[in-house]
Amino acid sequence: MPAVPRTIADLGPHVAARYPYPSRFETVNGWRMHYVDAGPADAPPVLLLHGNPTWGYLWRDAIPPLLEAGFRVIVPDQIGLGLSEHPHLAAAHSLENHAANLVALVDRLDLGGLLVVCHDWGGPTGLGMVLARPDRVSALAIMSTWAWRSPSATFHRRISPWRVMHAPLVGPYVLGRHGGMPGRGIHLSVVDRDRYGREGRAAYEAVVPDPDDRRLTWLWPRAIPIGEPTDTTGAYFEWLEAGVRPLRRPATLIWGREDDVFAMDPFLHTWQQWWPHAEGPHLVTGRHFLQEDSGAEIGATLAEFAGRVLPPVRADGGLR
Amino acid sequence: MRVATGGRPAGHRAVPLLAEPALDHYPEYAGFLATVFGLDADPFGPPGVLTVGGRPYELTFLGRSGRPFPCGVELAALVPGLEPLDTEVADRDVWAILEWVTAGVGVPWSVEALRTTGRIYRVPAAED
Repeated sequence: MPAVPRTIADLGPHVAARYPYPSRFETVNGWRMHYVDAGPADAPPVLLLHGNPTWGYLWRDAIPPLLEAGFRVIVPDQIGLGLSEHPHLAAAHSLENHAANLVALVDRLDLGGLLVVCHDWGGPTGLGMVLARPDRVSALAIMSTWAWRSPSATFHRRISPWRVMHAPLVGPYVLGRHGGMPGRGIHLSVVDRDRYGREGRAAYEAVVPDPDDRRLTWLWPRAIPIGEPTDTTGAYFEWLEAGVRPLRRPATLIWGREDDVFAMDPFLHTWQQWWPHAEGPHLVTGRHFLQEDSGAEIGATLAEFAGRVLPPVRADGGLR
Repeated sequence: MRVATGGRPAGHRAVPLLAEPALDHYPEYAGFLATVFGLDADPFGPPGVLTVGGRPYELTFLGRSGRPFPCGVELAALVPGLEPLDTEVADRDVWAILEWVTAGVGVPWSVEALRTTGRIYRVPAAED
């Protein structure tokens, strides 16, 4: 395996066997974005968005049920993570820039009639894209994420471990030099930790091999508003809330029963208040990284939902 | 841990260890270091130097338009000549510096919370 992997194949058979798709790349806002694009090009598309510190591999068990149901599945790696470019400049990692990177991708691929599936930072970034390109989006799925300034999580307001972990100088050390997020961080937020050790951990660690590659893993925690004067993303989240709350696209809510990061109260409950039309919640075995424990079940739930709510595609490839 | 005077020792080179672009994310961290190194009185002076067990480390403070100074800091080991960096020793020294900074910043931050976090994330220096 190359010291710095560029493609899924570079990660070796252990990863490629579980994520058997060709690596594709698009340039978005000047950055190299890696993504997977599987299934018929003219099928209704499903966009799977990950957060911190994961990459498209998180969705590996959810993809097959969607492909078997006939959908096109697009899975980008957010700039700064996975096999996408890892910019070192902190300014590259504003939430506006990350949302704009997804806008650029859906424009470059000319995607329409999308089911957008948001997990973790895939929510604040992906929903920003939805607000910028509403005509490209038909339905939404929400998993362990948020789109507001308040309420925040008890977990995120605690000094230890969360705020200390990404405090000045400590973040670059614990999460940068010592790679705390893809290793221990995910390990602590899955139910079946043995399985994660066998099937997941190496794939998450391999794509951020060096401290400088892990910059976003400590910058993104700082972007979560917790009601402190030092919150830096309040304006973005206020804009996001104003646009997302009144959305009435078909939606489904999927949550891990054991999620203690984005706990059901208040996070799932806030989505239910905002979107009373949303289906679910579909509760599955899982903590924050619920795809690690229930990926196939989540994929089947998404396929069933998409089959009912996505517009079918005409024979000429256009949406009806 | 000692704050050294006189700047970088002669014949030493700086080996970057950490770069913190947002020291002001929690301004009390910037405030502590500004006080210790006299940055309010002389923001454009030479980098600060700390010693850990006699080994010198350099702190270079960064400014950025539109943000209070210092908004960032780079921490480097000062290594004599062209001798290789002892990375294990440097890693433990950085942890000692983090404990010193945390203690200096004070409530609500604490060395105990830092150590607990370090143990949760299996940082070798925190498990010693």
